Formats: sequence, structure tokens, C-alpha cells
Amino acid sequence: MNTLTIAWIALSLVTGFVIYLLPKVDRYLALSVAVVSLGYGLQIFVEQSPLTLQLLDNFGVTLVVDQLSGYFILTNALVTAAVIIYCWDSGKTAFFYMQTIILHGSLNAVFICADFISLYVALEVIGIAAFLLIAYPRTERSIWVALRYLFVSNTAMLFYLVGAILVYQANHSFAFAGLGEAPTEALALIVLGLLTKGGVFVSGLWLPLTHSESETPVSALLSGIVVKAGVFPLIRCALLVDEVYAIARIFGVAAALLGVFYAIFEKDTKRTLALSTLSQLGWILVAPEVGGLYALAHGSAKSTLFLIAGNLPSRNFQELQQRRSINPVLWVALTMAGLSISGFPLFVGFGAKILTLSQLPTAYTIAMNIGAVGTAIVYAKFIFLPRGGQEKIRLGLSLAATLTISALIVANIAYYQAYTVANITKVLAIIAIGWVAYVFVLRRSELRLPRMLEQFEHLIGGMSLMLILLFWMVFA
Amino acid sequence: MLEACILATILCGFFGIIFKKNIMMKIIAMDVMSTGVIAYYVLIAARDGLFTPIWANARKGAYADPVPQAVILTAIVIGFSIQALMLVSVMKLAQDNPTLESNEIEKSNMP
Repeated sequence: MNTLTIAWIALSLVTGFVIYLLPKVDRYLALSVAVVSLGYGLQIFVEQSPLTLQLLDNFGVTLVVDQLSGYFILTNALVTAAVIIYCWDSGKTAFFYMQTIILHGSLNAVFICADFISLYVALEVIGIAAFLLIAYPRTERSIWVALRYLFVSNTAMLFYLVGAILVYQANHSFAFAGLGEAPTEALALIVLGLLTKGGVFVSGLWLPLTHSESETPVSALLSGIVVKAGVFPLIRCALLVDEVYAIARIFGVAAALLGVFYAIFEKDTKRTLALSTLSQLGWILVAPEVGGLYALAHGSAKSTLFLIAGNLPSRNFQELQQRRSINPVLWVALTMAGLSISGFPLFVGFGAKILTLSQLPTAYTIAMNIGAVGTAIVYAKFIFLPRGGQEKIRLGLSLAATLTISALIVANIAYYQAYTVANITKVLAIIAIGWVAYVFVLRRSELRLPRMLEQFEHLIGGMSLMLILLFWMVFA
Repeated sequence: MLEACILATILCGFFGIIFKKNIMMKIIAMDVMSTGVIAYYVLIAARDGLFTPIWANARKGAYADPVPQAVILTAIVIGFSIQALMLVSVMKLAQDNPTLESNEIEKSNMP
């Protein structure tokens, strides 16, 4: 088991470089790595007992593999496989597959590491690989978006590094568990770094532009799994340290409401999906004990949505409503993924939502139910689009969507206890309220929210404000 | 005293990122900030003593902690590669925007 884990982590990184040496078989190698990860992720659930590895002595690398990591690894494998299948016949070069697989490998490293320095290295590798994927078309806009992403994430990671050395100073070890004994500044700095990297609440406002302006498969990767690299360590730390737990809850609720509010009034399909990611990350964070299942539900559904949204005839909702040309088959897939995120029964989104809500105290439950109604409104925008187009669907897209949607249905077994009459009525009521609100009120609403906060300088300035807020929260 | 200077370096770098208008200057400010962070690691490593912990016959007494120094070496390399990537993309951007004013580039690239 120990050797298997190390071999599996090394495999994805080594294959990443081999792909560039053997460009003829790039797609096959990339897909096989994703399949291996899928197998490894499933195997964790069979094993049940958590695995802890300490490489070298207490200064070395510590790895922890448990069920929580299992969910994230499965999500990673599914999203990567879907993206590779989607790109199969689109003539992407070996460089694209190499970056995808290196991104995949470093994400897996984040999901099993348990000390701050391995986490730092993995997060920075993710930053570089994501930068290269976003900048891949080499237009001026894509380069600017990628540069902005790298800048924000690197500045956040510098704060994080200062926090990491303070943890080391207090404990003589970089392990996550030492965060409890570390001074409060360390806590604030590390949490700031992870919140920014994970795109949570105000410090995550870099996310809408980055995710909506990249290419379709890259957006699916970014929204489906890359942001979860910032959220996963937060969940790990929240389960170890009480202060982080309280912070994670508050930021989770705030992010869920903020993201959904922005998404309701957005007129662009890809931006709506990106803003909805902002709010769904709040859902993952609000109940750290069960965040894994929600991450799996969100990752597979959101990557499907992004892949389909990239193939709609237009990005503007108004044009889509007037032109009436969505292919009915595409619409069915879009609706299934949208229903899953809204929490409709028969999809894993339902179980995940019920499980998350069951973990919350009353005040939080009310706020999150409002968030759930908002989510239903956001996806009603997609579900109520007119159908009837005849354009051809690429084979890669239909295979990728089949894979992720069947994952959404199969993953239902993870929490089948959710199927009680009370739960089903509640969720159906939430969705019905959302749809009614959309059809009768919000469809005609014209509200343009300012995008000032998303400007580059405001993002960095917002980071310093968040730092002050976090200091204030941990000292109080 | 030394600690205050190092923290001041980090803050100077951070404010440079916010207040400088030119992207090139922003990148340099980020480098200043990361230099500050590296210096902070070295300072904390040297708190207990200054000698290198290398095996020798004569004991030198209190030695510097090698772990933070080894760790920050990784961060230096990563910081360097990120810097290089950013400079390349700035070179690309400079072909169409010779002034490199970040506001101007942002205005033409916000949808």
C-alpha cells in the first residue's frame, strides 16, 4: 500500500514528461494516468483505514490518505478523464496533454500531503501548470488573464510562506497539526493564502474572469478541480484546529451567498458558471466533515456544464433565448448537470446537499437554504433555454458528458440514506421556489452589477483587507 | 531590529505591487517581497546560532537550523521560474502595449 501510493504519485508526474518525449501516444498515456487515479481513488474506499506515511524523519514529507482525500482524488480523475476525452479529436498538441497530466499529478499531491511545505510546492506547480494552460492560445487577452492569475496566486503564496515559517518556529515541524500551537498571525497568513488560492469569498474574485476567459476544456479543469486544491487544505486544517473551523464556516456561508447573488444577475453563460463555482466552494467549506462528497458532486457537474456551455451557439443568454437553437440532446445533458447542482433527487448533488445541511447549526441552515434557492434560480437560466437546434455534436463531447453524468448518478450510493420523504419534499420545494422566482420575476430583471472589485489592483488590495479581517477574527 | 527591517521589506514589496502602474515594476516589487520572505526564513534559521552544521572534529557550539534554509531553497527556485514566466508574458504583451500600463491593458481586456 505504501509503495503503491508513492508509485502512483510519481507515475503521473513521470508520465507528464514522457508524453513530451513520445508525442505520438500523448492522448493514450494521459488517459491511462487518469484511469489509474480513478482505480486508486476507488481503492481507498475499499481499504477504509486511513494511511499515514512519513518520508524521512520529522522534517520530511508527511502524507495522509483517507476517505476525504479519496473523494477529491476521484473528482480529479473524473474531471481529467472527461477533459482528455473531450479533446481527443480536437488536434491538441502534446504540450497540452503534458500540462494537463502534470496538473493532475500535482493536484493529487495536494490531496494527500499533510505538511505545509509539500503543500506549498504542489500549489505552486499547480499555479505554473494552470498559467501555461490558460496562456496556451497566446492571444493578448489569454496572456493577460494568465498573468493576472499567476500574480494573484503568487502574492498569496508569499503570505502563506511567512505563515509556514511561523508554524515551524513554534513546533519545529511543518505538519498541519502544528497550526494549533502556532501564533495567531501564522493562522491568519496561511488561511489568507489558501482562501485566495481556492477562490473563496472576496479574495476569490479573480476567479470569474480567469475561468470564463480561458478555453472550454481549460475552464472545465479549472472550475472542476483546480480551485479545490485551495479548499482541501483548509478543510484538513479545519478538522484539526478549532479556530480554522470557525473561520471556514463563516467564509463558507459568505462565499455561498455572494457568489450566488452575482451569478443570478449575470448575462453571460460562462461567467454565470464561474460565479456559481464561487458559491459552490462556499458549500464545500461550510461543512468540513462532509466536504468531500460535495466536492465530487460539484466537480463532475461543473465540468460537464463548462464543456457544454463552450459548445452552445452563443455566450449571451439573451441571444440564446431569441435564436432558439440549442440541440435537444445538449439540452438534456445541460439539464441533468444543472439539476444535480441544484440538488434534484436521483443525482449525487441531492445527497451532498442534504448531508451538508444536516451538519449545520440553525442560523447557518437558514442562510444555506437561501443559497440553495439562489442556486436553483441560477440553473433555471440554463434549463429554461429554448430548444430545437440541429447542429452536430462532437463525439468527444458526448462521450465526456456521458462519463461525468453517469458518475453523478452512480455516486448516489455514497449517501443513499438521504432518500426520505421529508428530504425529497424539502429539496423539491427549494427548486420549485427558485424556478417560480426565475420565470415570473428574474427573467426580465435588468441589473448590472459593478465589476470594479475584479480589477487587478483591487484584487491585491482586497487581499490586504482580508488579512486585516482575518487578524481581527483570530484575535477576537 | 533585523526582524523589523525584514518585515518592512515585505510590506514595501506588497505596496509596490499595489501602487506601481507599470507591470514590469509590479513584477520587480513582487521580487522584493519574495526577497523579504526568504530573508525571514534565513533569520529564523539563524536564531539559535550561526555555524553551519557540518560534521567536523572541532565542535563549534550553537548551529543554525538547516531545515528552513533547505526549504526556502525550493521556494527560491519556484519564485525564479515564476518570475521568468511572467517576464516572458510581459514581453509578449509589450508588442501591443509599449507603455505596459496595467490599467490600459486591463481596460482593453475586460469583457
